[in-house]
Amino acid sequence: MGNCCSDVAGGRAAVGGTAAAAGGADAAANDAVDYYLKSRGFHAMFSPIELSFSATNLRDRDVLSKSDPMVVVYTKARDGQPTEVFRTEVVLNSLNPTWIMKYAITFQFEVVQTLLFHIYDVDTQFHDIDVKMLKLDEQQFLGEASCVLSEILTKPNRSLTLDLVQKEDSTISSHPQRGQLVVHAEECISSKTTTEMILRCSDLEHKDLFSRINPFLVISKTVESGNPIPACKTEVLKNDHNPIWKPIFLNIQQVGSKDSPLVIECYNFNSSGKHDLIGEVRKSLADLEKLRSSGAGENLFSPAAVGHDHKVLKSQLFVDKFSESVQYTFLDYLKGGCELNFMVAIDFTASNGNPRLPDSLHYLDPSGRLNAYQQAIVEVGEVLQFYDSDKHFPAWGFGARPIDGPVSHCFNLNGSNSHCEVEGIQGIMMAYTSALLNVSLAGPTLFGPVISTAALIASQSLANGGKKYFVLLIITDGVVTDLQETKDAIVKASDLPLSILIVGVGGADFKEMEILDADKGERLESSTGRVASRDIVQFVPFRSVQSGQISVVQALLAELPTQFSTYMRSRDIQPNF
Amino acid sequence: MGSTSRTLEITVLSCEDLRIGRKWVKKNTYVMVRTDPLNYRATKMDTEGGAYPSWNQRLSIEMPLHERFITLEVHCKTASGDKTIGTARMPATDFMGGYLPENYLNFLSYRLRDAKGERNGIVNVSVKANLPEYLSSNDNDKKVSEINACSMTSKPAPAIPIEDGKNFGFVTGIPIWSKNHV
Repeated sequence: MGNCCSDVAGGRAAVGGTAAAAGGADAAANDAVDYYLKSRGFHAMFSPIELSFSATNLRDRDVLSKSDPMVVVYTKARDGQPTEVFRTEVVLNSLNPTWIMKYAITFQFEVVQTLLFHIYDVDTQFHDIDVKMLKLDEQQFLGEASCVLSEILTKPNRSLTLDLVQKEDSTISSHPQRGQLVVHAEECISSKTTTEMILRCSDLEHKDLFSRINPFLVISKTVESGNPIPACKTEVLKNDHNPIWKPIFLNIQQVGSKDSPLVIECYNFNSSGKHDLIGEVRKSLADLEKLRSSGAGENLFSPAAVGHDHKVLKSQLFVDKFSESVQYTFLDYLKGGCELNFMVAIDFTASNGNPRLPDSLHYLDPSGRLNAYQQAIVEVGEVLQFYDSDKHFPAWGFGARPIDGPVSHCFNLNGSNSHCEVEGIQGIMMAYTSALLNVSLAGPTLFGPVISTAALIASQSLANGGKKYFVLLIITDGVVTDLQETKDAIVKASDLPLSILIVGVGGADFKEMEILDADKGERLESSTGRVASRDIVQFVPFRSVQSGQISVVQALLAELPTQFSTYMRSRDIQPNF
Repeated sequence: MGSTSRTLEITVLSCEDLRIGRKWVKKNTYVMVRTDPLNYRATKMDTEGGAYPSWNQRLSIEMPLHERFITLEVHCKTASGDKTIGTARMPATDFMGGYLPENYLNFLSYRLRDAKGERNGIVNVSVKANLPEYLSSNDNDKKVSEINACSMTSKPAPAIPIEDGKNFGFVTGIPIWSKNHV
């Protein structure tokens, strides 16, 4: 992504070969390893979480003893239909229970994961039955609560306290006390430790003394059944009998644990794809660490052919470097108090069409159906709002003429002259509708002023020591008019804690906009010769989503945690627990 | 008496897509960081990176406050001698001034141009401008800027010896504070 900062390669640097390498032709195509790495590798945005539950002051429904409560967990899809996913065990005779069974859920940043909790008092006659077999309508309902997963994760100690309510009693004005449910989240990544190793072999020999060897290593994890699963492989070195490969980065998770037995195989690269096995070594990471400290070498052996023993070779494997470091994840930074601050800029250029006409992109449908701008605001804002502690979102418009004044390319959506913030997603929606009535659409479409204002906010926050990362959402219907000025603003902002999401609405041809997204092209260059230090822009054309479909905006959001963690790591900023 | 220069810690990271003529550079590249013709520092030579060399080497250079640019020159040692294959100018405003906090670690990249003005690759550096000497103290506790009090703590930079480059005409003096000095 045009990122110049060094980053964990996880062995990927060698797999598939960097396009840049002068000797690029030697990069072996080993699809199985590539796919394996991608599915387990650095880009995985899915963090496994465990939720544990406790409650206080539950209602007492049993006559002779206290309630025997159990929690049932539901997930709620976009259309509001709850699906049961989990039940805890039954705690006997307690109004302040702590349940032991934990619910495992995968945290997905780009989705609003709504959870619904029901607490039931399980009747005595069912106490011997497996929890899964219980019929809920035969139990006593004690109360319910709901929340979003990211709400739990952004709390300082990752515990959220919810008041329990009775769903049916919507007409009753005063709700009797039903107690509280406490939900606590734990990230269950076994280890965040990454190991960096430099491996070297000596005296590699092959079929005959004079043949050329182009060696590379494959490190695999052994499993009980079947063939070892490759975890990473090195680059291929040309014609080298004493190769030293570039550093290999392995996350402990990729191999299981530090003591998991690994197979390190040395192959001779063959352009036909059938690489010859020169020899192998079976060691765990802990063993490799010992090799490093002793400085000794380990002899490779050639695996047993039928009827023969292993043949121990003269060649040896040495470990020249072995170091471990901790890689913090996005959730770690959240736990340490980092925040994502949401900012939004809306295109008010005349190309949107007269807002009073139904075919305008800014048309406010009296039936309540959201227009494209409103949909985009809600989709992105809904996810990001939980990561912002004060829910004050700067909101701007551009390309319009406010009531008295010239065309402005960055005016406060709330109509104020002094501050640009609104409260909550509702605040953005209200400011948007009132701005539509109070400005006249004009043009041209310029992003420079809005990006510069957002960059200023980000750098001021930096100067004040804030642990904030800013996300600017620009919703536009057309192609930006002054591309160079926009590029200049982006390049200047590329070193700040800022990401820019551009959503294109309407039917225009957005091909030029894709230039701004370095994923699809080269690194951006300003008019002064400065090049963007990182790719901070993501662009996607917005398609109206029918219910049930996955939105393209989600794909945009999915990249944010990586952009955030990469920014933090490149500066060695560690989360302060 | 105030200092008229600041110390910059420039870490020369890497370069991309370096060519001589049309062909990719094979090896032996290094970068020279200059504030004026007489004041410069150079990295070690990268012998194997080819067109995508990397050094990750930190250089310390004094920059007088009136200087507005730092020049980055990428050199290649070829059979026919030392060639400057690309130059870029880094304005001081990119890493000082504005709203960026003191001691902010800036990651910057620039387009390199050869002697004819043609584009020739990109150079990646990181720059940290240190406070002028009279504002800093020998107290290591104060290394982390007060502005960042309770939040982001970046690792304090280890002491760096001044690289051997030539620095004619400027005397670098470091004030000595006694431990009991208030």
